Amino acid sequence: MRLTCANESSTMREKSTTNSYVLDSLDLLISRLNVVIVFFSTIAVAAAGCILSWEATARYLFKIPSDWQDEVTIFLLVGTTFLSCAWVQQSRGHIGIQALSSVLGPRANAARILLGDLMSFLFCAFFSWKSWTLLLEAIEDHQISGSAFGAPLWIPYSSMAIGTSLLSLVLFAQILNALLRPSASHTRIPAP
Amino acid sequence: MNTLQIGLLFGLATIAVLFSGMPIAFALGSVATVFMYFFMPHASLDTVAQNVYEEMASITLLTIPLFILKGAAIGKSRAGKDLYSALHIWLSKVPGGLGIAVTIACGLFAAMAGSSAATCSAIGSSAIPEMQQRGYSSRLCAGLVAAGGTLGILLPPSITLILFAVAAEQSLGRLFLAGIGPGILLVVLFASYGIFKYRMEVKQAQASADQGGDRSRILQVDNYTAKEKLAALPKVLPFLTLLLGVMLALYGGFATPSETAGLGAILALILIAVVYGAYKSSDLIPIFTSTLSEATMLMMIIGMSLLYSYVMSYLHISQSAAEWVVALHLSKWTLFLAVALLVIVLGFFLPPVSIILMTAPIILPPLRAQGFDLIWFGVVMSVIMEMGLIHPPVGLNIFVINKIAPEIPLKDVVWGTLPFVFLIMFAVLILCVFPDLVLALPDHYFGTATTKNS
Repeated sequence: MRLTCANESSTMREKSTTNSYVLDSLDLLISRLNVVIVFFSTIAVAAAGCILSWEATARYLFKIPSDWQDEVTIFLLVGTTFLSCAWVQQSRGHIGIQALSSVLGPRANAARILLGDLMSFLFCAFFSWKSWTLLLEAIEDHQISGSAFGAPLWIPYSSMAIGTSLLSLVLFAQILNALLRPSASHTRIPAP
Repeated sequence: MNTLQIGLLFGLATIAVLFSGMPIAFALGSVATVFMYFFMPHASLDTVAQNVYEEMASITLLTIPLFILKGAAIGKSRAGKDLYSALHIWLSKVPGGLGIAVTIACGLFAAMAGSSAATCSAIGSSAIPEMQQRGYSSRLCAGLVAAGGTLGILLPPSITLILFAVAAEQSLGRLFLAGIGPGILLVVLFASYGIFKYRMEVKQAQASADQGGDRSRILQVDNYTAKEKLAALPKVLPFLTLLLGVMLALYGGFATPSETAGLGAILALILIAVVYGAYKSSDLIPIFTSTLSEATMLMMIIGMSLLYSYVMSYLHISQSAAEWVVALHLSKWTLFLAVALLVIVLGFFLPPVSIILMTAPIILPPLRAQGFDLIWFGVVMSVIMEMGLIHPPVGLNIFVINKIAPEIPLKDVVWGTLPFVFLIMFAVLILCVFPDLVLALPDHYFGTATTKNS
């Protein structure tokens, strides 16, 4: 009997180590992807500022009409928003109403957070699926924007699809963390 | 199910999901999607992503990340400290000058940074220790800085006003100008209260000194030489030039609001590089990461709030609710009072961006029917929402003060901000009685006719 218990305990320890390894690898993968995304998002925001500054200067000083600037700025900033949303979620930066957190006990709070993550995951996964469908349609139909510039719409749609997929992955990892190693799940993962 | 039942279910589902603690953006998106599934044609589900993209792809909305970048650049530099120090030196002869300096510095900084939290943090981190050192009570220090910080959502480039411009289809240029008068009114009210409290504290300190107690630091008067006064100016002038330059670009017809946002952000980055030497990656990374974090969080809430409003409108919930409010035949000011109370209660739990986008489809038609000017209302709504920043349970600025001055007990911060909540209520009353304080400037500049989207 004692031997069986020892075996079970050892199996559980091995399972726990495997879980930890898988979760750590997943967190590391997400963190590395986010570092790359944050780097490009930073460049995109700075580029958007430069483009709009150029638009005003060129029109006023050199009488150059603006045609592509607004469209490109929209693509850059919408792209930045969707691509960075996983990174923001990784550090739980998307704000929510926390009025119940001080009322509920630790276990009830953990269950509340887990439920919130689960619902967020379901929504984001659905949104991600619809973003990929939208992207594929835009590529197949050669969709372009309605402006005179007529930029291809697969550009912003791809950022939505990739960004929300990564967001779903982050939420999935947070749910797994909460289920498989509850003690560590509330610690904030350092953002890049 | 009829519209009333669907509407009630929609409201209850929203409350339940929001209070679960789920991020506001995903909560609103989830409610909208579930109601699309059950009550709208199934094909509408295929356009969820497209709807969000089309609502977000507005150049007016996308000025928000750039205004946040401008605020982060200035907020993470020493500009706030220098601005406050210069004002302090220049106002040292005025009784209660330190309190006036804090209020004016908050107003100017808010106009440069456009963020309440950044204003509180930048001005408070240098002003609170200085005021405490000079004998001001902790409550007055905390109250002045927290209240001064609220000006960030009122003075241009206010993100709240940008969203109101989008939600109410009003001119952003007109709204920005309309926010200036009430902003100045609040600065005057806050500074006047600061002087009043200062005098009371001086009186108490004098009485205590007369009775043989310690002579408080508040009784000492600081004198600065003309040289010291002039020496304080060079680091502040570039930022004041940026502030005025951006306004001139916008209202001088040189740049659109979006171009102004881009120009402001790039010029702010250039200024902090030139004035403070903040051009290394170690200086720029915190600026860009905080911009990305705040802008992404806000833009996701905005995108999902717009999806939520679209579903509410498709299901005729917002129209029916608006018709119901109109059918109540409330008098003009009862309606205003009811809306103001709704905004205050929502301000207990929700950030201003969500309040505007979620309530605009319901509250704006009845207000328009009652003859309210929506530019006036947008500004007054922002003033009302300022209260939410300094009273519990959310009171963002209270927590910012608690973070930058942990030695001040939270209780003192809350009590210190309370008089300012009443001052903001008083300001709302003044704006109701004298609407020209809001409308005179935009009417003078743009003419009295209502214009759509500048």
